[in-house]
Amino acid sequence: MQTPVFAELGTEIVRAEDLRKTFALSRKQRLLDKTGAAYKTAVDGLSFSAYRGEIYGLLGPNGAGKTTTLRMLSTLISPDAGDAFVCGHSVRKEPQKVRDAIGFMTSELKLEGFFTPSYLFDFFGAMHGVEQGTLAARKKELFARFGIDRFAEVKVKDLSTGMLQKVSLVIAIVHDPDVVIFDEPTNGLDVLTAKVVTDFLLELKKMGKSILLSTHIFSLVEKLCDRVGIVIDGKMAAEGTLAALCGGVSLEDKFFSVYREAKGEAV
Amino acid sequence: MKLLALMKKEFLRFFGDPKLIVTMLLPGILIYLIYTVMGSAIFGPEEAYDFKVYVSERSAAETAIVQTAEANGWSVDFLEQGELTVEEMRDKVQAGEADALIVYPENFDETLSAGGSFSGPLTIVYNSAETRSLRFYTVADAVLSAWARPFALAASDLGAEGGSAQIMAGMLPFLIVVFVFSSCMSVTLESVAGEKERGTLATILVTSASRVDIALGKILPLACVSLIGAASSFLGVAFSLPTLMGVSLEVAVAGLGAAEFFLIFLLIVSVVPLIVAAIATVSTLSRSVKEASGYTSVIMILVMVLSVVASFVPGIGNWVVAVPVLNAVAAMQGVLTGAAQVWMCLTAVALNLVYTALLVFLISRLLSSERVMFGT
Repeated sequence: MQTPVFAELGTEIVRAEDLRKTFALSRKQRLLDKTGAAYKTAVDGLSFSAYRGEIYGLLGPNGAGKTTTLRMLSTLISPDAGDAFVCGHSVRKEPQKVRDAIGFMTSELKLEGFFTPSYLFDFFGAMHGVEQGTLAARKKELFARFGIDRFAEVKVKDLSTGMLQKVSLVIAIVHDPDVVIFDEPTNGLDVLTAKVVTDFLLELKKMGKSILLSTHIFSLVEKLCDRVGIVIDGKMAAEGTLAALCGGVSLEDKFFSVYREAKGEAV
Repeated sequence: MKLLALMKKEFLRFFGDPKLIVTMLLPGILIYLIYTVMGSAIFGPEEAYDFKVYVSERSAAETAIVQTAEANGWSVDFLEQGELTVEEMRDKVQAGEADALIVYPENFDETLSAGGSFSGPLTIVYNSAETRSLRFYTVADAVLSAWARPFALAASDLGAEGGSAQIMAGMLPFLIVVFVFSSCMSVTLESVAGEKERGTLATILVTSASRVDIALGKILPLACVSLIGAASSFLGVAFSLPTLMGVSLEVAVAGLGAAEFFLIFLLIVSVVPLIVAAIATVSTLSRSVKEASGYTSVIMILVMVLSVVASFVPGIGNWVVAVPVLNAVAAMQGVLTGAAQVWMCLTAVALNLVYTALLVFLISRLLSSERVMFGT
């Protein structure tokens, strides 16, 4: 699928079209948010495209709608309006095909501690319908590349956070997906584990994968992303390559200028 | 392939954890110990009984009864009617001067060997308030029930209403359902609500496995595992039954043939996946194991109350066959009292499997619901 406007960027692999998502607020949430409204619009007409081989970052403060957007793209939840296409498949109409094409990583998805990395790799390979021979070769390659072969037979519950993160990453791409979606990749990680993750993402990019990530950390975007979309209150406030978007100022300065413009308030 | 991988994972999860296996087998062992102690308390220490039994006429049936009694280390002294009337013999049983009275249809042995028809039933008169009398009745009833008999068998209890044998026939299906339910509950709650709570179920949901496969991948292995737990409980009941009824195992199950055992087995096999699916549905709807456990306890109480109704309320209509789980209780009770209705058993099995399929479909829909899975 080639979008003429962005033809120079390559093949469009993810396209979000006017995505909208509203959640009902519980009484407790209403009290916390100090609002009387029964509903909250988490994503409000968000549109963007990501292209093959690039790392696209959704940057925004907490509650901006980044995670909700990624959950819609990974088919965990469904948009109220609008649609998104991953490798040409609609998240609304062909969720199973979308799940075949993506690897999704988020802290809310956990691995069962009772099993070993080796078993879980095989299990999730089977869940994605990966053929046995291919799966064995892929396990050998990925486990060696990320050093998992040293603890492949240790139960997940006995692994360190860094080891566990590596296992989660490798299992997310067990089926060699074209697109890797990563929600807050370094959130809550120590510096060593965070480096494992960022190195992994750069490695994936080298392997030709398209990566979509969400974060509120400026340095992470500057280090990893080819293009970035600034999301504020569920809307795309600004978007472009890092150089074009920042126009000579730092990403942090640019972000706060966009934020002030969107919210009309001082930061 | 995906379904097989999902099932394999559940089996590995269970059989790889010794604690879970112990949890499954422990109820059977406990039931055996508790019931055996209860039985010993009810019947007291084993005595060498010498039963005194009045008979309306002499019959070759006595030989079979004597053989079974002797196998238990007891003896039987059959007393002829002589000048006594049937009423007087009944009074002696009531007064404890004799242990039982067997009233044969007239010319019993001759009619039996000639293959003729009988005018009335063979009636065993006993007094369930007396342990000796009750023990003799259990032996005689077991021996005669095991016969392919062309005559009707009747019992007349001079003691309190409802002898222990009838109570056992009513209790067993109820107990089986309760044990099956507890067994299903212990594995299913953790496996479904636990996975949801830990976030490991969502990891499977982002793969391309279909929701029906995921639902079946839970229900089928859990049903197999629950069946092991239920079998453990069932064996616990079966082996403690003789002590509880005060007779040997052979006598306790003498009235039940292979066909009856097969029907009971079929009914249990149909009930286990249904209960697993019902608990899995509740677990899928719950946010945590604690919440699921609360809801499931309410269902268990409901099932227990309705099972008691199905077991002990006489004259319950055929409509009960349409009620999940209760149909199995009523059908099992029919089998145990020798009034098995095959159509009822088979309909109950078929309907329970249909209800299970419907619940699996419902779970697959719930797994697709973001409100249920992620509380959005």
